[in-house]
Amino acid sequence: MSLEVKVPAVGESITEVTIAQWLKKDGDRVEMDEVIAELESDKATFELPAEAAGILRIVAQEGDTIEVGAVICRIEQDGAAASAPSAPAAEKAAAPAVQESAPAAAGGAGEAVEMKVPTVGESITEVTIASWLKKDGDQVEMDEVIAELESDKATFELPAEAAGTLEIVAQQGDTVEIGGLLCRIVPGAGAVKANAQAAAKQEEATQQVAAKAATASGAQTYASGTPSPAAGKILAEKGINAADVQGSGRDGRITKEDAQNAQKAAAKPAAAAAPKQEAAAEAPAAAGDRNQRREKMSSLRKTVARRLVTVKNETAMLTTFNEVDMKPIMDIRAKYKDKFKEKHDVGLGFMSFFTKACTVALQEWPAVNAQIDGNDMIFNDFVDVSIAVSSPKGLVVPVIRNAESLTLDGIEKEVIRLAKKARDGKLSIEEMTGGTFTITNGGVFGSMMSTPIINAPQSAILGMHNIVQRPVAVNGQVEIRPMMYLALSYDHRIIDGRESVSFLVRVKELLEDPMRLLLGV
Amino acid sequence: MKYDVTVIGSGPGGYVAAIRCAQLGLKTAIIEKYNVLGGTCLNVGCIPSKALLDSSEHFHNAAHTFTTHGIELENLQVNIQQMIKRKAEVVKSNNDGIAFLMKKNKIDTYYGLGSFVNKNTLKVAGIDGNEQQIETDKTIIATGSKPAALPFLPIDKKRIITSTEALTLTEVPKNLIVIGGGVIGLELGSVYARLGSKVQVVEYVDAIIPTMDRALGKELQRVLKKTLGFEFFFNHKVTGATNEGETVKVTAENAKGETVTFEGDYVLVSVGRKPYTEGLGLENAGVQLGERGMIAVNDHLETNVPGIYAIGDVVRGAMLAHKAEEEGVLVAEQIVGQKPHINYNLIPGVVYTWPEVAGVGFTEEQLKEQGRAYKLGSFPFKASGRAKASMDTDGFVKVLSDKNTDEILGVHMIGPRAADMIAEAVVAMEFRASAEDVARMSHAHPTYTEALKEACLAATENRALHI
Repeated sequence: MSLEVKVPAVGESITEVTIAQWLKKDGDRVEMDEVIAELESDKATFELPAEAAGILRIVAQEGDTIEVGAVICRIEQDGAAASAPSAPAAEKAAAPAVQESAPAAAGGAGEAVEMKVPTVGESITEVTIASWLKKDGDQVEMDEVIAELESDKATFELPAEAAGTLEIVAQQGDTVEIGGLLCRIVPGAGAVKANAQAAAKQEEATQQVAAKAATASGAQTYASGTPSPAAGKILAEKGINAADVQGSGRDGRITKEDAQNAQKAAAKPAAAAAPKQEAAAEAPAAAGDRNQRREKMSSLRKTVARRLVTVKNETAMLTTFNEVDMKPIMDIRAKYKDKFKEKHDVGLGFMSFFTKACTVALQEWPAVNAQIDGNDMIFNDFVDVSIAVSSPKGLVVPVIRNAESLTLDGIEKEVIRLAKKARDGKLSIEEMTGGTFTITNGGVFGSMMSTPIINAPQSAILGMHNIVQRPVAVNGQVEIRPMMYLALSYDHRIIDGRESVSFLVRVKELLEDPMRLLLGV
Repeated sequence: MKYDVTVIGSGPGGYVAAIRCAQLGLKTAIIEKYNVLGGTCLNVGCIPSKALLDSSEHFHNAAHTFTTHGIELENLQVNIQQMIKRKAEVVKSNNDGIAFLMKKNKIDTYYGLGSFVNKNTLKVAGIDGNEQQIETDKTIIATGSKPAALPFLPIDKKRIITSTEALTLTEVPKNLIVIGGGVIGLELGSVYARLGSKVQVVEYVDAIIPTMDRALGKELQRVLKKTLGFEFFFNHKVTGATNEGETVKVTAENAKGETVTFEGDYVLVSVGRKPYTEGLGLENAGVQLGERGMIAVNDHLETNVPGIYAIGDVVRGAMLAHKAEEEGVLVAEQIVGQKPHINYNLIPGVVYTWPEVAGVGFTEEQLKEQGRAYKLGSFPFKASGRAKASMDTDGFVKVLSDKNTDEILGVHMIGPRAADMIAEAVVAMEFRASAEDVARMSHAHPTYTEALKEACLAATENRALHI
């Protein structure tokens, strides 16, 4: 039996994903819940776990952009894998395992599961069935999305609550009250998962099947990457190493077509150089490596790029600067960092002071924490601080929720948690949406002064910079102090100069005299 | 005239190189010493010997197996003149074919002895004494080889003959002594043995066709002895031969150091071939020779002089027409900047005796020497339905595959149509097929090639079906 794996719904606003990378090859055996691919959306990167154990058959290739709900691959479940024309002996070994499990699965599968409209929120009393994604009588898997429901607030998806045959009750376009019956799922023939799980228990037997099947029909062998005679010639002429070509032939052999296509993907300069060596030699060549690389933009980076330009075009962005004497904070850190670490199990960084100072200032100047929505302005009584983190995939801005109510150590812990997730590409969309104000720290890379771009739809962003020892006048005396420039970029449409400048001055005051944070003055 | 490429020699290496050059848009000339194209292979080698092998095979079958087939003939006779005439016609027709191919590909053909004046100038000395010079950018030397002789045993071309003369005998020898148990000696020995000669093979080492997998030589020796009455004298060092008018006397030293004498009416000296470079004027172009008189070339078959290439029998490697052809194509493509390659390990070796002998890849002896872990699968033609139907049940197919990966490392066969069947092994091995891969491909039934499938099955898990 072959199970179709579809692009899962990852959030309301996401309609398509790009396949960043297949972690398994076509023909590989995969285990249930094993991560088989990395998908990218314009918001985040996430992982695709296998929905069953079996042999992977890739449908959509790396770099393809496919819609949510589209088939991304198929998994030939163990029963099917064993029927590959390979080892009859191993097939025999696997067969009893499946047979044994089948009655158990069937026995447990008696009554139909009735699926009702779930409670989706207090204010929602009814939903409309936007579309059935499965037809009446189709086999569905547990957790497979079978319908799209619409309410006046949002669209959401209906996952199957069991595996089996779908019996649709409410039709497309119908409006059904919360708790109303949508469909029934009759277990039985569709109880594939039960089989799969049972088969998974027979791990040893089935893995042998897979291993045997692999030698006959697909996986990595001694011959993988071997070019056919014609393919070898083409690759040699293009100057492409066979090791850099993905063979599509039997056991990964490189076919003539693979070799022909290799040109399009791989190093163009090398290909051009091969036939015209003499001509190339005549031209005065520049010394050194002149190699160029062309890489596809990740959809995350594409989105960030698009949004940055949009923000510049659609807001009245302005930046104001001030400077902070960091000595008081540095003194506090020097004095308490060990104790702080001991007590809270987290280091005392600058981020917590800045975040805290901002939350106080933002509450005093709420316009800086507000945003424009059409003809309205939305003011927030809470402060969700986005912190800009550069990750391997591009800039991401995870959010520290209700930062105004967090203690310094609470903020530090959140920063560390989010930064770590960003670095590993594990941030969820929820963790990145809904910030009301952003802090970015270009200073960690040595930036002295910058004009950050607003993180829309927010209205302001604070830029921290590096700390430099500079002579400043303190009480009429020249002193050397660790100074940092602060920049506040803001949308002048909603924030007046008085508010922006006053906000920044307030932040400066709170940082230069942290006692004020404690006293609330 | 000025050419992009000039080929010296029109054998299978030379004329194929010329055609490929012309196909690739190069202005090409070819120079042939004799007045017909085709070189050794076509004129005094593969083609005429195959013509006689087929004729004699027909006769042999008519004399020995037709009765069993239910065909009765009376007064069966050999008309050697007609046989030789037919062979000449086959050769002539192929000569014309090559001449047509030259014309079709707009290759200028020069008849005469080609030699270097300098790196880019060639002289063609015609038989009529006329001389002309041609300018060429690149040159491909494809002058082939000629039969080697033993220094103490001069060829008189009357009673002491080489393969060239053996192809034009006007009578069937009563007693033919063959010096050398290699391909040529066994093929021509077979021709005359089938026509009624008593054939004695005197060989210096301890086996026939010693460069091939040893199992093949053993089986061929058995069959030739059984069906054609061959006599083999191994470990015999020939010391001399004398033409005594109607007969010839050959002396040799056996393994014990005793002197042995053989008497026959002809002695065929088939002790190998040597590269033919005489009169080429290599010194005028500065081309150096390598070991044993061969032209030294690099992996691209280019000599020490850039722009001068050499292919075929005149360079290292097996002296085989199909090897020369591959090299001809390789050089032509390289000249225009392509990057072809030859897998020398996958050039099949063939002996056109009956049963035919063919092999490709590593021999079992080579694998043992390498210390490589291998599996062996073998299938005898005795168990082949097709072979039984045609009464060709001698021989076997032997498949050697890697013990761990099952990759086919060598295929060696002796049996009916082995020369044609070996192509399947070459294709499989070029794609690095495993024995099981071949075993899982459908082979028409009943055919001889099923024997290869069965041998692959045997090599896979010893699961041949028909034995």
